[in-house]
Amino acid sequence: MFGYVRPPLDDLPKEEAERFRRIYCGLCHTLKRRYGSAAQFILNYDFTYLAILLSAAQEDEIRQGRCIVSPVKKREYFAESDALTVAADESVILAYWQMRDGVSDHDFVHGAKYRAGALALERAYRKAAKNRPAFDAVTRQQLEILSALEKENCALIDRPSDVFAQLLSGAAAEVEDPVRRRVLEQLLYHMGRWVYLIDAADDLKKDVQSGNYNPVALRYGLINGEWTPQARREFVQTLDHSVHMMTTAFELWDFGVWTPILEKTLYTGLFRVGKAVLDGTYQPMLRGEDRKKRKNGEEST
Amino acid sequence: MKDPYQVLGVAESATDEEVKRAYRNLARKYHPDNYHDNPLADLAQEKMKEINAAYEEINKRRSGGGPENRQSSGYSGYGGGYAQYGQYSGGQSSSSVLQQVRIAIQTGNITRAEALLANYSDHNAEWNFLRGAVCYRRGWMDEAKRYYQTACQMDPGNGEYRQALEFMENGTQSAYHPDGGFGTEMCSANPCLTMCCAYTLCNGGCCFYI
Repeated sequence: MFGYVRPPLDDLPKEEAERFRRIYCGLCHTLKRRYGSAAQFILNYDFTYLAILLSAAQEDEIRQGRCIVSPVKKREYFAESDALTVAADESVILAYWQMRDGVSDHDFVHGAKYRAGALALERAYRKAAKNRPAFDAVTRQQLEILSALEKENCALIDRPSDVFAQLLSGAAAEVEDPVRRRVLEQLLYHMGRWVYLIDAADDLKKDVQSGNYNPVALRYGLINGEWTPQARREFVQTLDHSVHMMTTAFELWDFGVWTPILEKTLYTGLFRVGKAVLDGTYQPMLRGEDRKKRKNGEEST
Repeated sequence: MKDPYQVLGVAESATDEEVKRAYRNLARKYHPDNYHDNPLADLAQEKMKEINAAYEEINKRRSGGGPENRQSSGYSGYGGGYAQYGQYSGGQSSSSVLQQVRIAIQTGNITRAEALLANYSDHNAEWNFLRGAVCYRRGWMDEAKRYYQTACQMDPGNGEYRQALEFMENGTQSAYHPDGGFGTEMCSANPCLTMCCAYTLCNGGCCFYI
């Protein structure tokens, strides 16, 4: 989960953007209450989508509160629900294993921030794993498969992305309604596949320098992380098939109040992020300070 | 039965034209072409039936059950569209094992299809085609395309294989989209990513493990 799935906020009516913010804040509050403030820092948009997909069709109860980001003005957020609890537990597990993965991927110096992250999450993780033992077991097992594929330098893109896709689709395993479960498993599978592939595409240049495993570069035989028109066309085809699988799954379940946000994200947001990554114009989320600087810089130019 | 107006998502006071438009949009969304080989095609088929029944019901009510000629065109065209889903069992198989594979794929038993294919030593064009179909159902889109390509190379004259490959190459261009263009290359470059960090906090986390 890397924050690639995002709502196109400019295209959403204000009330929808506000609804998204309320569940984002709701997840943050849930993380803090269950796992302490260290766990809040794993919060990102992808995990918010997990919460949305697992949420009921109607809105949950709204609370008001202050937080570090908004210490003065109270902001509205959704009260803790089953969906937020599950999303929080699973987020902690995924984030923890991802950081552990980062530790083993890097040498001692470069692995430092991952070690620090994993250490900070250690306690939260132990609790989350106790709450969701099945999800934890699957996560651990899948990431072992991934690390084996990395070691053998697997040049296929479907195999490594399947690992991540299965991880996400496993988040729907406990959904009771069989139709809803099928829909969510399919949607999350392809969301995982798409995220994994986009992340690999985004890392092309970086991985050339570091020598890290990159399935997209290997599959398309890219030199110095540069796309050829043919390779780009083929890669886009495979991405678009995954988006198509997501949209067709999405249309088969009533997501109630979340429908407009999901619709815009799946039919518009994913394509925009994908194109920006391929064009090399993608901007990862910025820290508050950098964001302000950039904004000021833009205004003055 | 559900309220037909609710199914189509229109008010009871909607004009005939509005009803027709709503029906057509939904029919496009759940059309078998949009769920080609989709593992959830059975659910889409159910939706389609529900929409067709609702549209029929509204037309019946509005025409007062009489012979009035208000039944709109466009309805009949979508009725039996899902029948073509029998394609895997309908195709000509060169062996009884591959015929069983087709049946397994069609009934959604992908594990069985995969096992049968793994034990079949003659990797002919049909084997590659069916292997591609299994990959597609699993969501292994790139592998699916490669197997379809091999099938086409081995048997260039086969329409079934060619159609499958064609779908992998251009199929999503005609996929349903509420406002038109479906596809990564279809989206305009701007104002793409001004959405960044509206509420912050996310950043600390991202930096850890990107």
